[in-house]
Amino acid sequence: MSLKKSKKLSKRMGRGRMIALYVVLILGSVMMLLPFIWMVSTSFKAENDIFSIPINWIPRKITFDNYIKALKVVPIAKNMLNTVFIAIPKILGEVFVSALVAFGFARFEFKGRNFLFMILLATMMLPYEVTMIPTFMIWSNLGFSDSYVPLVLPAFCGSASFIFFMRMYFETIPKDYEEAAWLDGAKNLKVFYMIFIPMAKPALVTISLWSFMGTWNDLLGQLIYIDSQHKYTVQLALASFSSMTGETLWGPLMAASCMALIPIIALLLYAQKYFMEGIKLGGIKG
Amino acid sequence: MKKRQRAGFYFILPWLIGLIVFTAFPMLAAAYISLTDWDIVGNAKFVGLDNFKYVFRSEDFIKSLWVTVRYAVLAVPLIIATSLTMAVMVSKNYKGMRIFRVIYYMPAIVSGVAVAIVFKWILDPSYGLINGVLAFFHIKGPDWLYDPNWVLPSYLIMAIWGAGGSLLTYLAALKDIPQDLYDAAMIDGANTWKKVKYITIPLMTPIIFYNLVLGIIAAFRKFTDAYVLGGAGKEGNFYMVYLYEEAFGHYRMGYATALAWILFVIILLLTILVNWTKKYWVYSE
Amino acid sequence: MKRSIILWIVLLLVLGMLNGCSKKANSNKNTFTFATWAAGTELEEFQAVIDKVNEEAAGEYKINVLSIPSDYYVKISTKIAAKNSPDFFWLTQELISKYAKMGALADITEQFKKSNSLTPDMYYEGVLASAEYNGSYWGLPWIANPIIVFYNKTMFDALGIECPSATDDWTWEEFIDICRQISGKEYRGNKVYGTIIDGWPNIETFIWAGGGDIIAKDGETVILASEEAKKGMSYLQTIVEEGLSPRYAEVASLGDNNVWFEKQRVAMFFGGVQDNFETKIDKMDESEKFEIGYAPMPVCDDGSPWSFDWTASTVMAKSLEGNDLAYKALEAVTKAFFEWKIVPPVKGSLNNVIEINPKKEAAMETIAYIMDYARSANYIPEWSDINDKLWYNLYVSLLNDASFDYRSQMDEIQAYSQDLISKRKSK
Repeated sequence: MSLKKSKKLSKRMGRGRMIALYVVLILGSVMMLLPFIWMVSTSFKAENDIFSIPINWIPRKITFDNYIKALKVVPIAKNMLNTVFIAIPKILGEVFVSALVAFGFARFEFKGRNFLFMILLATMMLPYEVTMIPTFMIWSNLGFSDSYVPLVLPAFCGSASFIFFMRMYFETIPKDYEEAAWLDGAKNLKVFYMIFIPMAKPALVTISLWSFMGTWNDLLGQLIYIDSQHKYTVQLALASFSSMTGETLWGPLMAASCMALIPIIALLLYAQKYFMEGIKLGGIKG
Repeated sequence: MKKRQRAGFYFILPWLIGLIVFTAFPMLAAAYISLTDWDIVGNAKFVGLDNFKYVFRSEDFIKSLWVTVRYAVLAVPLIIATSLTMAVMVSKNYKGMRIFRVIYYMPAIVSGVAVAIVFKWILDPSYGLINGVLAFFHIKGPDWLYDPNWVLPSYLIMAIWGAGGSLLTYLAALKDIPQDLYDAAMIDGANTWKKVKYITIPLMTPIIFYNLVLGIIAAFRKFTDAYVLGGAGKEGNFYMVYLYEEAFGHYRMGYATALAWILFVIILLLTILVNWTKKYWVYSE
Repeated sequence: MKRSIILWIVLLLVLGMLNGCSKKANSNKNTFTFATWAAGTELEEFQAVIDKVNEEAAGEYKINVLSIPSDYYVKISTKIAAKNSPDFFWLTQELISKYAKMGALADITEQFKKSNSLTPDMYYEGVLASAEYNGSYWGLPWIANPIIVFYNKTMFDALGIECPSATDDWTWEEFIDICRQISGKEYRGNKVYGTIIDGWPNIETFIWAGGGDIIAKDGETVILASEEAKKGMSYLQTIVEEGLSPRYAEVASLGDNNVWFEKQRVAMFFGGVQDNFETKIDKMDESEKFEIGYAPMPVCDDGSPWSFDWTASTVMAKSLEGNDLAYKALEAVTKAFFEWKIVPPVKGSLNNVIEINPKKEAAMETIAYIMDYARSANYIPEWSDINDKLWYNLYVSLLNDASFDYRSQMDEIQAYSQDLISKRKSK
């Protein structure tokens, strides 16, 4: 069967399958979105409508009170800005340094490489809770209390899981490209910069997104190192809606949580196109 | 040639510096703490291996380890299979796939506490969504988190819901598989299943390996939602929840740190094991 | 060569960090940090109280607020470990003896007794006992939140049941009888229950009901397995067995136990004086509103209507022990709290309650009556472990299964607790 003919055949069979695919995807989507629908729905409910029997998915009466109240309790816009302020240097540090380090692990065979890589993996295995206090004590002794520095500075040494990911990714890139460059006498950094970075764009976008999400959702780290309210981040703001002696304000909490989701979803939608930019590797064979 | 290889060392230097400056001291401190009786607030008293000896006699340790291992064994393959399937389904460039990609990934962007709260309502035995749907089909749903036998399934449901977290990695990898290979296979008369089995999956093994290692680490370190939701009969008492309670609820930091090291060793051994099998099933250039 | 230079630089950095600069000991300091778990709107109120105190101090001292909105004790203990303890902080009653034993708190006994404006005898005994450990006082309680019985008067009238009076001396048996008359009946289209027990009220309430207790006054003898304590637990068992309360697994369907009372599914609710049902009812639609009645806790088998009281104290960091200026600030702040939170734990300030929350006026008779019976358990340092066992092994088991053998379990927990305490001594 020629290529053209078989493509035509599969196209016809494909239509039925495409419809089936869409049906499955839509059903799955509903399940994926349910908790979000719940959050949004609750955020528009009046206080005495939130807990009712049977639980209703559509508010009896849509109200914006929760949003207004949420904005009064925490300056969410400022908190988001603070979080972004931390996230940007962190992303720059983590993404580029991780890629650099991963390049080192992926393409060079130096003494102790495998052993060091094992250590890298090992650093991901010890729970953060037990190193948290000694780490805090160091920063405290250095005078960094109520500061973003302890949260940002370590990023410039890369992040273990990102290095791991980038290394995996680099290893799947055929060696042919760089062989050519090296034969031409190119220096290492140049090879890295001119060949690997462009080819790894989807992966780089992925870890950038992860880095941003990590910062956006990190409650414990930010809680320990930040004291002043004007430095509060998104997670700290969300934590302000429930207290040990106060009451949990469910409505405003859901409203604030929904607002906190918007930037990430927007980022996700925007970054999305980078994953689908195919690497049409045409010219290698032959 | 050799000189170029050594250059690699300079590339990993930033990480190495970070390791020594930011990681080594706390880890050494944690090693020392595990040999002490420390209540965080007061002074640490050296007790040698007492903490470790106590660990193996502790019922709660065994229970929490069992809960965690059972979860890991079931959840990790489940999550990988689900995620891969999702990735393959949304990888085509049909209309609107963009939205689906975002939708399936969304569960991963919410923080643990919010998820836990919402699932508490979804899994509610009396009026939660799942039992409500089951009731529609005249099935009486179980008590989920309130029934010891159904706590594990509850967490597995949450795991599947969040499986889309690794979607991005699979999508990135899927895009790298050259279309020529699929075309060649089609000429040879291969159907979709054969294409997936002989082209897609083998070429994805590096990313699957990555997610396997990370998945194991994540499963053993599961904490946030379990801490909020718990579970009947201590079936929701995952290892990290037990550790956190010991550290900050009972102020037994020395003991908790010993627990942490034991977890570390378990994860490390598993990772080394998986890494050793790498040559048998993971594709590389 | 390059490699080794880099490694040397790194080593120097690490050494530099290890040396660190120790915290400057400033014995002349007059700025104090006050850590609190208040956040959001509660924090605004807190800040207002502090601002007023600072104003009245007129420069003699200044208090800065440190709000910890989540994982409060994690951050507090971490800061203390880093020798960076907040000067004042809120501490719940269950942890006072533990923090005192760990050496984190200043012993304020001397200053407390010598004070001109706030002395131990001004407090209700039950409340002050929570700040005592090993013969000393470790903090100043700033709130008392004892339990009273809120009941749905409208429902009582509709079902033709006699209401308890504001200072009724009803017993636990009588309470259960009323539950029997209510549970299972139809009201406003729903099946209703007499009361709701889901882990709240806490187990102390039931143990006291029989005239027993968990830890004796000496702080060293465990009396959990006494016949009185077991009699008290039998009341709980009866409630579970006869279905007088919603099933444990069913409670969460409405979110929280108090919602059952608000939605008129439960006739009587054990609530802290602070619980703001009055405000919630005001916000309801007319058709949903109902009249609240107040009654004291049922009288326990030893003749008193013991009411579990949740209290927190403001404590002072150890490093400030003996510091008179710090104590002055602590005292001023505590007295300011008496005008902010209900119920203020000092005798003779009940009028504050109506000023702070006028809606509580109808409850005043009950509140005044119950304050003399406000009581906490004896929270020894081993409490966290004992409490775990009490909850997982005893309370939850009984809630899920009325036929659970709670008597043997109480024997077991007593043995376990006694063992723990003996280990404390051998240290």
